[in-house]
Amino acid sequence: MENITKLYGSLLANDNVSLTLDKGEILAIVGENGAGKSTLMKILYGLEMPTSGEIYINDKLCDFKSPMDAIRQGIGMVQQNFMLFNPFTVAENIVYGKEPRSHRIFFDRRKAAEIVRELCRKYGLEIDPELKVEDCPVGLQQRVEILKVLYKDAEIIILDEPSAVLTPQEVDELLKTIKGLAALGKSIILITHKLQEVMDVADRIMVMREGKRIAEVKKTETSIEELSYLMVGRRLAARKVEKQKSGKNVLKIENLTYVTPEKKNVLKGVNIHVDEGEIVGIAGVSGNGQSELIQCITGMIAPTGGKILLDGKDIIGRPVWEVRYSGLSHIPEDRYYMGCAKDANLVEVAIMGHHIKPAYSQKGILKTTEIRKFTRNLLTKYDVRHSSLTQKAKELSGGNIQKLIVAREIEHGNKFLVAAEPTRGVDIGAMEFIHDKILEVRSKGGAVLLISSELTEILSLSDRIYVMYGGNTNGEFTREEATSEKLGLLMMGGKLNE
Amino acid sequence: MDSNYIASLINSTLRSTTPVLLVALGSAICSQVGVFNIALEGQMLIASFTSIVVNYLTGSVLLAIIAGIISGTIIGAIVAVVQVKYQAADMVVGNSLNLLVAGLTSILLFVILGVRGSFSSPDLIPLGKINISFIKALPFIGRVFADLTVVDYISYVIAILMYIFLFKTVAGFRVHSIGINKEAAESLGVNTLRIRMAAVAFSGALSGLGGSVLSMGQVTLFTENMTAGRGFIAMAAAGMGQNHPLYVIGSSLLFGAAQTLSVSLQNIIPSQLTMTIPYIITIIALSVFGYRTRKQKSMK
Amino acid sequence: MNNDTQKSFIKICLKAWNALKQPIIATVFGLLIGAVLILTTGENPINIYNQMFRKSFLEPYYLMQTLTRATPVIICAIATAAAWRAGNINIGVEGQMIIGSFTATACALYLSGPPIFVLTVSILLGMMAGALYSTIAAALNLRFGTSIVICTLMMNYIANYIASYFVNFPLKDPHGDPIAAQTAVIDKSLHFLKLSSRSTLNIGFLIAVGITLLFIFISQRTVFGYESKMTGLNPVFAHYGGVNQRQVTLKTMALSGAIAAVAGICEIFGVKYRYIDSMFVSGGYAWTGLMAALIANLDPVGMFFASTFLAGLQVGGQSIQRTSNIPYQMATVIQSCITLFVSVKLTFDFIKWKRHAKTGADKEAD
Repeated sequence: MENITKLYGSLLANDNVSLTLDKGEILAIVGENGAGKSTLMKILYGLEMPTSGEIYINDKLCDFKSPMDAIRQGIGMVQQNFMLFNPFTVAENIVYGKEPRSHRIFFDRRKAAEIVRELCRKYGLEIDPELKVEDCPVGLQQRVEILKVLYKDAEIIILDEPSAVLTPQEVDELLKTIKGLAALGKSIILITHKLQEVMDVADRIMVMREGKRIAEVKKTETSIEELSYLMVGRRLAARKVEKQKSGKNVLKIENLTYVTPEKKNVLKGVNIHVDEGEIVGIAGVSGNGQSELIQCITGMIAPTGGKILLDGKDIIGRPVWEVRYSGLSHIPEDRYYMGCAKDANLVEVAIMGHHIKPAYSQKGILKTTEIRKFTRNLLTKYDVRHSSLTQKAKELSGGNIQKLIVAREIEHGNKFLVAAEPTRGVDIGAMEFIHDKILEVRSKGGAVLLISSELTEILSLSDRIYVMYGGNTNGEFTREEATSEKLGLLMMGGKLNE
Repeated sequence: MDSNYIASLINSTLRSTTPVLLVALGSAICSQVGVFNIALEGQMLIASFTSIVVNYLTGSVLLAIIAGIISGTIIGAIVAVVQVKYQAADMVVGNSLNLLVAGLTSILLFVILGVRGSFSSPDLIPLGKINISFIKALPFIGRVFADLTVVDYISYVIAILMYIFLFKTVAGFRVHSIGINKEAAESLGVNTLRIRMAAVAFSGALSGLGGSVLSMGQVTLFTENMTAGRGFIAMAAAGMGQNHPLYVIGSSLLFGAAQTLSVSLQNIIPSQLTMTIPYIITIIALSVFGYRTRKQKSMK
Repeated sequence: MNNDTQKSFIKICLKAWNALKQPIIATVFGLLIGAVLILTTGENPINIYNQMFRKSFLEPYYLMQTLTRATPVIICAIATAAAWRAGNINIGVEGQMIIGSFTATACALYLSGPPIFVLTVSILLGMMAGALYSTIAAALNLRFGTSIVICTLMMNYIANYIASYFVNFPLKDPHGDPIAAQTAVIDKSLHFLKLSSRSTLNIGFLIAVGITLLFIFISQRTVFGYESKMTGLNPVFAHYGGVNQRQVTLKTMALSGAIAAVAGICEIFGVKYRYIDSMFVSGGYAWTGLMAALIANLDPVGMFFASTFLAGLQVGGQSIQRTSNIPYQMATVIQSCITLFVSVKLTFDFIKWKRHAKTGADKEAD
């Protein structure tokens, strides 16, 4: 790819980026959120058109108008959001588009299963063709995506943030798979911001920042620290957090269990407590019960057993507004799914949860002047870039909406804050800002429960850390005791040797 | 109640089911490609009207049916272009077309046939009934299958063909996948736009056939608004049948039975009240069905 | 006018043009199609349209007729919007209107007492009946997952048949025409005050205006309005913020039914003074109201004017039927064409916006 430039209106997503890839090579493209990595690959895969620049495959100039063109040239991409048909089987998903036929028009499903088994043998992967995709764990679903790409005889395989949704075991298997494919002659581009994985599998590494290519190095010539420095552009000062004595207990969860209507046992007797003036982090790969735990604490779903005591009062079975009223704020893990309504304007997003307070409404009637003042206040205080109060939420960038949501929740001044993935998909500047605000809550005596799949975030902010695995906590550490090795091991379900 | 009466009830059910079944299959195919087509009522009504007009003017039943199918397809095509291609709001497009057809048929009824309200004439040729002599001679079965039209039989054949298409062929597999995950199908090279438009136009054809048999099957006349909500009942039937052609046969038969029940009770209960039966049954069926789906989900 | 005022005046004109050009273009297309149809009846479209517009908006008597006709349409549009705003697709306003106003009529006929008392109780009971009727659909939806769209639609037919039964048998007017299926006339003391001696315009119109203003107030200034809107935009967000969705669904549907009842009450107590079999079905008030709500995108002021415009078309259509061969349904056809074209126009803008968005504006880079 040479001199690729991509302009979105006034937003320069890719600025004159070039890269090369050799056969059998694994190239990692690293960079923070917003660096332009995904955009670059979407251009390569034909999902986007470059504003300028050229692409050469095997020295031939190519013009991709759609993914079909790219696929024909031997390029395959596994995106972050899987393109799968959940009710269909693995085999049906893999052969889609080039289905084996009988009598010209009929779908030969038995042959499809055979083809899949053959692919598995060829590439050393394992999967049951007859399983329905919706019954497969995420790691297997990703494998289906990879097999899809292999079935179309892709020679160049792009993987966009593949490990974001995997458990540590699944990540190991993925890395093994990647190495295996490269050994068979496939060329692989890996987009990620997980530097450990990069150092594990990559041959060469390209660093991107703010749309530009900053550097290109061989793995053997660099280190995690250097890559981190290049990615961010400055040495990230290790965050110094003042040690603080914690006060009385704010949240106490006793033996919490939750079984879904589909009879899945998701929470198996969780015990957690959070005191005043401390940040308690819950580390763990998403999918181990964290989302359900949060929804139980915030009153959105009803657990099947146990107690949740907020300031001594059991809040199980209480409606959401009452839980919030008792002193709980909640930064949700998915800002668009839960944190806002895309078509609501900024005032409407900002006032949610506050609107029944006497300051903003009386006898059911809203105090519009106060509400607007409040919104303007939030937007200024948290430096949310916007153009007007009547702007719709979807027009703001992800980082800015996240800041507004964080602002809204923290400004309640509640004694307990649940922060779930507070900096997911957010650029470095906003991330540091949000971390500062969370620490502020702590220094003012608030209690914070921080749930994140980013270990670095947990390690840098938390006073105490639980690790969550398989529906329960399997470890508790103080800040001094915690190391990423110990946490990583527990996150995988392993056990510490005493 | 003798067995002959029961047989004639079943016969009546079969005949009432056909229009609903055809439109329900149309609704099902729209849902299979993820299109919410609410203009089924209009697609059906215009065909009912057009068939009668062509029937009257040409005396040919075949031409009347073809005209019905074409007119239904035209409305379906409008939905396809405006709603699917240009993504206009489904409720506006569908409701506008339904109202448009209702008004248009009333006006054209006057302009072409010179009457208002309803049209009937001895010159109208009814749809041919099929009566095979040796079946007719059988005691119970004979009555059940008496006087059914070609379309009655064809509708079941169409349902079976649709089933085979969607679940056994490659093309049907892809069509089916669009409703499950349009983005994925699109990213894998399927021309979702064209297929969705074709599906909607096809639903117009099916509804057109249903409309034709409505005005020429059991009776041979046209009344303003004679579809009386059948388009929506068909949507309910399709939903209950999970948009699966074979299950839709079942749910359509349910509504055909409700219709028959309402007519048969008219001697005992005033007709205004019996006419509510199919609608009430639809609501009950939807509720039971919805409840059972929820229960099933929790039992997996 | 100095330069600045001139500039802002032009700006406002341009803004108005931009907002209105779609409906205007759509109307032109709708009229063209209508013209073609009119030609098939052998009449001259220009004459017909001339008459239609004079006899709906331009001549004072007919303008008042239009406003009278618009009254139930406006109220139905608001009833529809009240439910849709919260994400409940209620297309059963017709049925709720029938049940509610029929109940009110029955009350008015059989309750005795001072007129103010009878009137108030009738209206209140009517509103409650309408609210109850719509709440059935809401309850079924909450308990069984029954689709509100289909349920409310079915209930339209059920309501009409039930009312038809009553009007043909128990409540049939014993003194009137034996063939006519209608109730007795309600007592003169209960008739709505007329606003003009020459036409049927009555305080029902003022009620429509009042309900529109009330709706604006509730949507923008109350907690209930805010919570309904958020539930409609993103139910998960509303739940997360503490909004009780069951309550919102039930209340908005009930409100919708109650308002629908008022629409029917205005027509009965203000114009017809009795319930006539299928009066609301043939009048098409609820569907016209639905169309107005949709093309105005649930905006109260837009709905008010759209309803008035569509009602005017129908008044014009009816006057045409009296003087020429053209059935009154011509108005429905023109109206449907216009709404269809409006929806298309809306999407041409949408496509332009989408193309622009793919290359700029609100994309998030990564």
